[in-house]
Amino acid sequence: MTPFLRRALAAWTALVLLFLWFPIAILVAWSFNDSRLNVLWKGFTLRWYAVAFSDAGLLRSLGNSLWVAAWATLLSVPLGTAAAFLLERHRFRGRDLLETTLLLPMIAPEVVIGTSLLALFVAVGLELGFATVIASHVAFCVPFVLVAVRARVASLDPALEEAALDLGATPAAAFRRVVLPVVAPAIASAALLSFMLSFDELVVTWFTASASSRTLPIEIYGRIRRGLDPGLNAISTVLVAATLAVVALAGLVRRRSGGSR
Amino acid sequence: MSGAGAASRGSREPGPPGRVARLLLAPLVAWAIAFAVLPTAMLVACSFGRRGTLGGVEPGFSLAAWGRLLDPTVRVVLGRSVAWAGLATIACLVLAVPAAWTIARSAPRRRAWLLAAVVVPFWTSFLVRAYAWVTILKGEGLLNGALLAAGLVSAPIEMLYTPGAVLLGLVHTFLPFAILPVYATAEALDPALVEAASDLGAGPVRTFREVVLPLLGPGIAAAALLVFVPALGLYALNDVLGGGRVDMIGNLVADQFTGAARDWPFGAALSVALLLAFAVAWRLAGRGGSLAASLER
Amino acid sequence: MRRARRPRVPVLARVAALLVGTALVAACSRGAPAPEIAVFAWSEYVPSEVIDGFTAATGIRVNLETFASNEEMLAKLLSGATRYDVVQPSDYTVEALAREGRLQPIDASRIPNLGNVSPDFLHLPFDPGQRWTIPWMGGAVGIVVDSTKVDPGSIRSFADVFTEAHRGRIVVVDDPREIVSWALATEGLPINDVDEASLAKVEPVLRRWIPLVRVFDSDSPKRALLDGDVDLGVVWSGEGALLLDEDPRFRWILPAGGSHRFVDSLAIPVGARNPEGAHRFLDWVLRPEVSARISAAYPYTNPNLAARRLLSPRALANPASYPPGEAKLEFFRDVGTGAVLVDQLVARIKAGG
Repeated sequence: MTPFLRRALAAWTALVLLFLWFPIAILVAWSFNDSRLNVLWKGFTLRWYAVAFSDAGLLRSLGNSLWVAAWATLLSVPLGTAAAFLLERHRFRGRDLLETTLLLPMIAPEVVIGTSLLALFVAVGLELGFATVIASHVAFCVPFVLVAVRARVASLDPALEEAALDLGATPAAAFRRVVLPVVAPAIASAALLSFMLSFDELVVTWFTASASSRTLPIEIYGRIRRGLDPGLNAISTVLVAATLAVVALAGLVRRRSGGSR
Repeated sequence: MSGAGAASRGSREPGPPGRVARLLLAPLVAWAIAFAVLPTAMLVACSFGRRGTLGGVEPGFSLAAWGRLLDPTVRVVLGRSVAWAGLATIACLVLAVPAAWTIARSAPRRRAWLLAAVVVPFWTSFLVRAYAWVTILKGEGLLNGALLAAGLVSAPIEMLYTPGAVLLGLVHTFLPFAILPVYATAEALDPALVEAASDLGAGPVRTFREVVLPLLGPGIAAAALLVFVPALGLYALNDVLGGGRVDMIGNLVADQFTGAARDWPFGAALSVALLLAFAVAWRLAGRGGSLAASLER
Repeated sequence: MRRARRPRVPVLARVAALLVGTALVAACSRGAPAPEIAVFAWSEYVPSEVIDGFTAATGIRVNLETFASNEEMLAKLLSGATRYDVVQPSDYTVEALAREGRLQPIDASRIPNLGNVSPDFLHLPFDPGQRWTIPWMGGAVGIVVDSTKVDPGSIRSFADVFTEAHRGRIVVVDDPREIVSWALATEGLPINDVDEASLAKVEPVLRRWIPLVRVFDSDSPKRALLDGDVDLGVVWSGEGALLLDEDPRFRWILPAGGSHRFVDSLAIPVGARNPEGAHRFLDWVLRPEVSARISAAYPYTNPNLAARRLLSPRALANPASYPPGEAKLEFFRDVGTGAVLVDQLVARIKAGG
C-alpha cells in the first residue's frame, strides 16, 4: 500500500468515527450546560442530573427496562442454547422448518413482529403488561442466542466428547467437563447480547407495552416527541457511560480469558 | 455453513435426538408455535377482518384490506421506503468499507480501541442519537448558530424536518451495523493476498476492485442486509427527524395499529405482505449467496 | 492443567450475572402492588404534579399513557389490548363512544367538585344529560404567527396560512378531522357535513395545502415555532397561549370565517378495572387548586369557575386561553362512517399518493 493511500484511509476512518461520535459528544456537552435551550454554552452545571434522577417517570421506566431485560435474558438464553444444540447436533423431521420458524423474528422487520404479537395478545385476550413485553423480547432474542451459540457448538470436535465417554465419563460429566467449557463463553456473550438488545428495543415494545410496563426507550421516545427536556441529555449521557463501562468490561474479560471471542 | 464446517473436520453425521434432546425439543416447538406461528396466523386472520367504524376489528371475511394494498399510497410509500433504505445502505457501505478495512489492518492495540469506538455508538440508543441530531439541526440549533456566527449564511437553513435529516439519521443509526460485519471479514483475510497483488503491479484501485472487494464480498453482503432490513421497517426515526409525515412503510403500518388511521385489517395486510416480501428476498439472497459460493470454487 | 483452563468461563459468565443481578435487585425493590388507575390522556395536558398530588392524597398510583389524537385513543381503547380506568376524549368522540356503549355512566354524587364547573360547560350537545363525562378543559383551534417572519395583518383565515409563500414554513396539528374541517370552512361548507360528496369537494384544497406543511405535530406543535423551524402554524389554543406567554413575537389569530371549539372531557370506559379510583381522580382534578395548577401548566380555557378565581390576571388576559369578544366557534359532531373516509383521505394525501 502506498503511503498516500494509507494516509487517505486513516483520514477516512477518522472522519467516519468523528461522524459517529459527534452527536454523542454534543449530547454529553449539553448535559452539563447551564441553559435550557442547548444553543450556546452558558456555564457548567450538574442540575440536569438532579432533574433526571428525581424524575419518577424516568426512574420507573429505567427499573422496568432492567427488569424486562433480565427476564428476557434469563428466558432466551436457555431456549436459544437448547435450540443451538438440537439444530446443530441432531437430525429430525421438521428440523429445517423449526430452524426457519425460530429465526423468523430475526429476518422480519421489527414492525411486523410487534404488530403480529399485538394481534396475538388481543386475540387471546391477554392484557398488555410485563408478560407481553418480556415474551416479545424473548421472541427476538432467541434467534440471536441461537446463532451465537450454534457457531461455537459447530466448532466443537465431537471426538473429544467421545474420547471422554470412552474413558468412562458419564454423558453428564462429559458434557460438563468437555462441552460446557468450550461453549460457555459463547453463552455468556449471547446473554450480554440479549440483555443489550432487550434494553435498547423500541419498535416491538411500542406495540406490546402498557403504561405500567413502559420501558426506558418508550419513555424517552415520548419525551423526545414532546420536546425540550434537558433531563434527557443527562439520562442519555448516563446511558452512554454505562455502555462504555460494559464494553470496557467485556474487552477486559476477553483479554484475560485469552483473546478468543 | 456450520454443517459444511463440521463435515470438513470429519465429524460424525448428526443423529436423531436422544432422550434429553427430545425433552429439549418440546418447549422449543411449543415456543416456536406460540410466538412465531400463532402471531403470524393472527395477523393473517386480522387482515381478513373488517375495520370497525371507530377502530378495532369486526369479525367476518373481507378482502377489502388486501384490496387496499393496490392503493397508490402503498406504492408511493413503499417506493420511497425502498429508495431511502437503499440510499442509506449505499451511504453506510461507502463510509464503512474503507473504515472497517483500516481498522482490521491496524496494530492489535489500536485495533481494540478503534473497534470500541464503533461498538459504543452501536449500543447507544438510536433514539438518543436522533435526539442529539435534533438539537444540532433545528432552526435555532447548533449548526445554524455556527453557520450564522461564521457568516457563511445570512439566514438559518432548513435542515430539521427534511428528507435529508431522516437520511442522515438512518445513516448514523445503521453505520455500525455496516462496519462490524465488514470488519469481521477483513480481519480474517490474509494480508499477503493484497501485498501480492501490489507486488504484481496492480494499482491501488485495481487491487481494491479485483482482490479486496471480492474477498470482502460476504461481509459486505451481510452489512447491506443488516442495514437495509431494519432501515426499511423503522418508523420512530422519521417521526423525530422528519416532521411526522407518513414517510415510510413502518409509519404506515404503525399508523394503522396505534396511530390515527386505526385500520387494523389494512395494517395487518401490510404486515403480512411485508413479511412475505422479506421471506422471498431472504430465500433469493440465500440462493444468490450459494450461487456466488459455488462460482468461487 | 485444570487451573489454567478454568478462569475463562466464570469470569465471562460473571459479566452477564452481574447485569442480571443488578436488574433483579433494581426490579425487586419496587415494592408491593398498590391500588392503581390507568389514565389515557392527551400528551402535554396532564401535569405530573397533579398526578403526584393525587397519589400522595389517595395512595392510588396513576399509570399515565398519552395519545396525540382522538383517533389514536380510539384505536388503542377499542383494540382491548389495555384496560383503562379514565380516558380523555374530545366532544365528538364522547358522542361516538357513548353511542357505541363504550362508556360507564358517571355517579355525580361521588364528584362533589362538579359544582365548581361553569354551566356553560355542562349539558353540552355531546353529553346532554351529563351522564358520561366531566369537562377537563375547553379550547379552540387557531393560528399562531411569528410576527418577526410573517406580517400578522396578512393572516385572517386558514386559506391565508396555506399559501405558496409559506411553503415549508408551516406547522399543523397532526389530526385528520381538524385539517379537513379547515378546508370545509374555507370552501364555505358546514364542518360537520362529512361524506363522500363534501370530501370530494375539499380534496383538491387538501392536495394543495398538505404538501406546504413542514411539520405535523400534535404532541407539542409549539416546539417547531419556538425553535424557529417554522413561521406560522395552526395549533390548539393552549399551545398558542404558551407561545404568547413565552415570547411577544408570537400572535394568536382566530380565523374570521370561524373555527373549531372543543371541550376535552374525562370519562370512564366500560371494562375499567378501578371505577372507584377513577371517580376519585375525576373529583380530584375538579378541585379548584388542582384545576388552577393544570391551567398554569397548560393554559387552555378552564371550565372550573372556582379555579379561574385562582388564576393570575396575566393568565386570564391571554387572548388564546380566554378570547375577548365573540368568535365564531363550532363543535365537531360525530360523523359516523364519515370518519373512516377522513382518515383514509388525509392518510393518502399525507403519504403523497
